[in-house]
Amino acid sequence: STLPAVAEELLREIKKAFQETSQVPDVLLLGLKFIFGPSAVPALDLVDQRSVTRLRSPSGRILYQVLGSSGKLYTCYSSCHFCTCPAFGFSVLQKSESLLCKHILAVYLSQAMGACQELAVSEEQLTNILLAEEEDEG
Amino acid sequence: LCRGGLAERLCRLQNRERSAISFWRHQCLSDDKIPPDKSGVLIVKILEIFEECTIQVAICQQLEQSPATLSPEDAVINAEEPILKVLFTRETAAHLKSRPQDVIHIYPPWQKLLLQNADVPVIMNTYFSQKVLLSEHSEAREKTYGLTKMLIRKNIISLAQTFRLDDVDDKSHQEFSDNQVPCAPQTHNNGDSKWHPLALSAVNDSLLEMVESQGAVGWREAQVQVVIQRVYCLPAREGYRSHTQGNKPLCAASVTNSDPPNVRLCLLVQDAYGMFSEVQLQSLSSTDNIEQYCRRWEGKSCCLAGIKILQRTTRGRALGLFSLIDSLWPPVVPVKVPGQSQDSEMMTTNLPPPSFCYILTVQSGEIHVEVDEEEQISNLYQPPAVHGLKEILRIDGCNERCSFWAQVLYRRLQTKHSVPIDQREMLLFVTDSTLQNVVHGIPKVVAVSVTASCVLSMEIIEALSAGSRLVFFKDALWGNGRIICVERTVLLLQKPLLCSAAGADLSELTGPVRLDELDSTTQASSVCALRGTVVGVNESTAFSWPTCNRCGNGKLEVCPQDRELLYCNQCSEVVTTPVLKMQLEVFLSCPSRSQSTVKVKVWHEISAALFVLLTMLLFLQTYEVQSVLGKEVGLLNCYVHSITSHPNCVALEEIVLL
Repeated sequence: STLPAVAEELLREIKKAFQETSQVPDVLLLGLKFIFGPSAVPALDLVDQRSVTRLRSPSGRILYQVLGSSGKLYTCYSSCHFCTCPAFGFSVLQKSESLLCKHILAVYLSQAMGACQELAVSEEQLTNILLAEEEDEG
Repeated sequence: LCRGGLAERLCRLQNRERSAISFWRHQCLSDDKIPPDKSGVLIVKILEIFEECTIQVAICQQLEQSPATLSPEDAVINAEEPILKVLFTRETAAHLKSRPQDVIHIYPPWQKLLLQNADVPVIMNTYFSQKVLLSEHSEAREKTYGLTKMLIRKNIISLAQTFRLDDVDDKSHQEFSDNQVPCAPQTHNNGDSKWHPLALSAVNDSLLEMVESQGAVGWREAQVQVVIQRVYCLPAREGYRSHTQGNKPLCAASVTNSDPPNVRLCLLVQDAYGMFSEVQLQSLSSTDNIEQYCRRWEGKSCCLAGIKILQRTTRGRALGLFSLIDSLWPPVVPVKVPGQSQDSEMMTTNLPPPSFCYILTVQSGEIHVEVDEEEQISNLYQPPAVHGLKEILRIDGCNERCSFWAQVLYRRLQTKHSVPIDQREMLLFVTDSTLQNVVHGIPKVVAVSVTASCVLSMEIIEALSAGSRLVFFKDALWGNGRIICVERTVLLLQKPLLCSAAGADLSELTGPVRLDELDSTTQASSVCALRGTVVGVNESTAFSWPTCNRCGNGKLEVCPQDRELLYCNQCSEVVTTPVLKMQLEVFLSCPSRSQSTVKVKVWHEISAALFVLLTMLLFLQTYEVQSVLGKEVGLLNCYVHSITSHPNCVALEEIVLL
């Protein structure tokens, strides 16, 4: 498949440009729009608002939480592309229309630009967050 | 969307792009044949198409020249020609309806992306693409093909494939550590607050350039670095009217009660080219203290962003503002000259003072002023030059801004009841050691008029009514022999840390304050001291009345229940210990002004220090005019109400100095 490699390279270019100049050039922003379509602007907005938090437990497990525009907190996994938001379930899983939802894209962009908030949590807290998602689904 | 943020920027870029695309498509319909040998045009022949998510991926061969010039037989796949992966969005793909063997012209701007582990370059941003029909023969083929629906393979992407943003080669970096990237000069720690809205464009240092290049719509992402020369408050109702309708003050919504008046915090800033601008910020509440802002911000550099232009004003229309600007001219360090290479900085002695100034404000909502309070004072900053009052009285010009540190002796409020309290003018009588230590020739006390446009903080107002205070008058106006405090003048209780004391004697006053004695040069609305002999008493003016000891209400009533007691309506309570106020007018003969009849209204409340004349009258149970006549009265402090020449009369009122 081509698209993931393209997306990855684009995000790397963004990270590189940002590290060197503290800015993201217009052409890369437009590239984001080209590849990710309607998720691009909302994802950037989430980054502008510093909505992404990286949770880390002592054992090294990582989880991301993104504060959505509605005020709801969504969980994104780090080991694979997964997000608890309804758009992910619909656009990515069901229709395969998108690679990512805006929250996962925001996670990557925040990583590229050093905009993640960091939070250290206990193993139990991390587990509870993961299990809580399950219960909602059930 | 966050102002100045990445999302907003992309929105704007996207809108521009969309207009460009629709314009281009429209143009394509009209010109059939756009010459393909224009530079930047990519000519590709599609070999294979498949879909991933909504992107159409076309494996293509790049062609050197347009196949229209080749005969169909020559259009064979040449293994030497480079292979490309061209991506099209769903919309472009629907427009192109491409199939294998089609030739597409891709016009700029398109982007090429080289992937790390792949040889095949990827072409993106291919909005401006057009299919080229080879010849009539193929046209017929097109039509047949068009009837059969083409099935395009769709690749499902695995979710397990995540993106790795780190350099694979560089093993020394952990994936999730704090940034330890060596190349970046600034480490972007997540807690670093210096790293302010993402990706604003480079900071400019010219106000004029910013203003002229952006127009009056407003600056979104531009930032300009300036030095804060002065911080002050402007009353909102006198402030500049921008887009609000009618005369509504800009911040009417924040007024919850009638006091204090609405004021806006303002900055007078100067850029590296010496140009000034007044920036109007948020409205202050009564708890905000202008003194704090002055102390923390004056002299520091700051970055302005998201600023809107209110107006461009000139010297003739804004005398007050320009008198302040003139006091800061010429700049104390050389300023840059626009248009010249910045290595040669011109000395500023020849530069004329500015003739125009932009008034700016912030976009409604957030403040986009970043003041680096930790930073040192800028070299460009000119602190107020403090002078002794004696020197100020000798200044030759008109409308000169001056700053001084003085003791306030007496405060007189304008008594027009038709004017609301917050708009009343006030006279402050002040002195300092330069005036007190002089023997002859200049007054010992000077009247400073405080107009309603000079915003006073609650602290100052309280301090002035409480007791004698040393007050710093910053940027008061001197002209026509008077010192007045107008808009942009700030009264502070503490001497600012930085001020150039140009030879002023800022020492405290030693000894009691002396007023000028009443003489032929005394003017109305001034203070003086007098001594004389009582020659008459105006009995009709003799008056004493009880006042409430709590609120000072002079209109007490008799208690209905007990006619011996007094009742105060304002406190809604019985007044057990009323304060007695007394008033009387006496005529004095003063040797210092022997031609005039001197009429002094004497009054005071009996709870405080007793006065000369009143003590005499008080201790006489029933005073008799005879016993008072001829008595010597020495050195009363008085306020001169009026001086008339026909009849030659001076009307004064005994006063208490603070």
